[in-house]
Amino acid sequence: MRPAPADIERAIVGLIDARVTEEPLGVVARVSLADVVEALEALKVAGYESLVDFDGTDTGELIELTYRLRSYALDLEVYVKAPVSYGGTIASIWHEYPSALMPERETAELFGLHLAGHPNPKRLLTTDGVAPLLRKDVLIRTVEEVRDR
Amino acid sequence: MSDQCEETLGVGLLCEGQHDPGTPPAGLRRAPSGVDGLSTEHLIINMGPQHPSTHGVLRMIIEVDGEEVIASEVSVGYLHRGIEKLAEHRRYDAVGTLMDRGDYVSGIMGELAFALAAEQLMEVDVPRKAHWLRSLTSELNRLASHLVWYGTFGLDTGAMGQFLYAMREREALCDILEAITGQRMMFNYVRPGGVVADLPVGVEEKIRAFLATFPTYLGEYDQLLGGNEIFQARVKGIGVIDRDMALAFGLTGANLRAAGVDFDVRKARPYAAYPELDFEVPLGTVGDAWDRYTVRMGEMAQSARMIGQLIDGMPEGDHIAKVSKIIRPAAGEVYASVESSRGETGVHLVSDGTEHPYRMHYRGPSLYAVQALEELLPGHLLGDVVMLIGSTDVMLGEIDR
Repeated sequence: MRPAPADIERAIVGLIDARVTEEPLGVVARVSLADVVEALEALKVAGYESLVDFDGTDTGELIELTYRLRSYALDLEVYVKAPVSYGGTIASIWHEYPSALMPERETAELFGLHLAGHPNPKRLLTTDGVAPLLRKDVLIRTVEEVRDR
Repeated sequence: MSDQCEETLGVGLLCEGQHDPGTPPAGLRRAPSGVDGLSTEHLIINMGPQHPSTHGVLRMIIEVDGEEVIASEVSVGYLHRGIEKLAEHRRYDAVGTLMDRGDYVSGIMGELAFALAAEQLMEVDVPRKAHWLRSLTSELNRLASHLVWYGTFGLDTGAMGQFLYAMREREALCDILEAITGQRMMFNYVRPGGVVADLPVGVEEKIRAFLATFPTYLGEYDQLLGGNEIFQARVKGIGVIDRDMALAFGLTGANLRAAGVDFDVRKARPYAAYPELDFEVPLGTVGDAWDRYTVRMGEMAQSARMIGQLIDGMPEGDHIAKVSKIIRPAAGEVYASVESSRGETGVHLVSDGTEHPYRMHYRGPSLYAVQALEELLPGHLLGDVVMLIGSTDVMLGEIDR
């Protein structure tokens, strides 16, 4: 279920510069990369106790990170989005939400980002030297292209 | 000093005082000494990825003090196929084939999660019959998946007989799913707009014949494994994932409900035909391996109950909406999730209005369960490691994607 955007604003906007909107995705709080840890901490205090998903999207200009938080007590979900530039650094949120440990590693690896404050900032899925696969400038080869090599 | 050692002892031999066991792999912690106060040598054991009991290509690096696990690190990625990237190059009706290969034991749920996400952007009116067929195949698939878990979980605890019985029932379910979808595992049955085919003639009798015996068999299976004192001694009170830990690690599905959290996507965020069905959500209390066992066994009984309701009440009508051959959903961003056999399978879909998804993120519940193992295993015995992996029912296909 969706919370009232006003409740989310009350939880975080006083602390940091954020924009809360209701979209087809759900209630989304957009914050800057510098504020994202503080926003997530504030939302945890507000009852969003579980980070159930974390991923990124290459918009063509930057990487947009999406955190999906859920409160089981209130039965509500909220999304937090933060932009990060190519090759930028994400501050790990694992001390508040341990469920971010592996998704952060995966996102950093597949989008070519760096992790700060992560206890084990290794690659998760691929081996060293593999390009950041989910970036739009990394192309995959077709069967024909592989055969022609 | 080191030159002197090489001269006197020869290259490759270590001088006294020079012994350096090296730093442990990142993520592993070091305990100061053995439990009895005497300094005990810690061993680091590599388990997998080719190991018959890790349910796929899971690799564990385990630091042990005698028989006790001190620290553990999970290493995944041996089955990474780049499903999310490949989906950006598929048409919407072909992404289901990729989702099948995520959680390959319950492929219908992955397909359904993607179809539900795409339909939010397509604004298509899915026929009622398609909803019912989706729920029917989901529950058949859930039973088939839970039976694999039941059989292999018994193997993990040292029992053998139940595996053969579970595979017998699963065989009947695979036959039914093959009759409906044309495939035994990689279905590609659920498409944006509905499902690909109606129920064929004769399958209803097959399902009724299955349901006539299955509830009795399920009771027997519960007795066979759950009634076994050795099994109970192996799982009761072991591997406790309480509510706080389950929420901290983002667990969903039976692993979460075993800790007493009443959250089932079928009830909390109803989709397909679930709002019209009468079923209960089994819950555990303390969240140990026994609770996870009882919750999944209860879920099997509920699935069989739902299949009966779905067959009895199957509506008439079309099985798929009128959808164009090449689907071009409106630009936008949506999230859809379903209750798969292992927890909440989610799809975060971004569309730019073309015939390919711009970005498709696949949330596999097993990724969150497997990272909780790093926290769960320390303090347990090495012999329980395999049982604890089995109790969380992880599926490497959806961890690595």
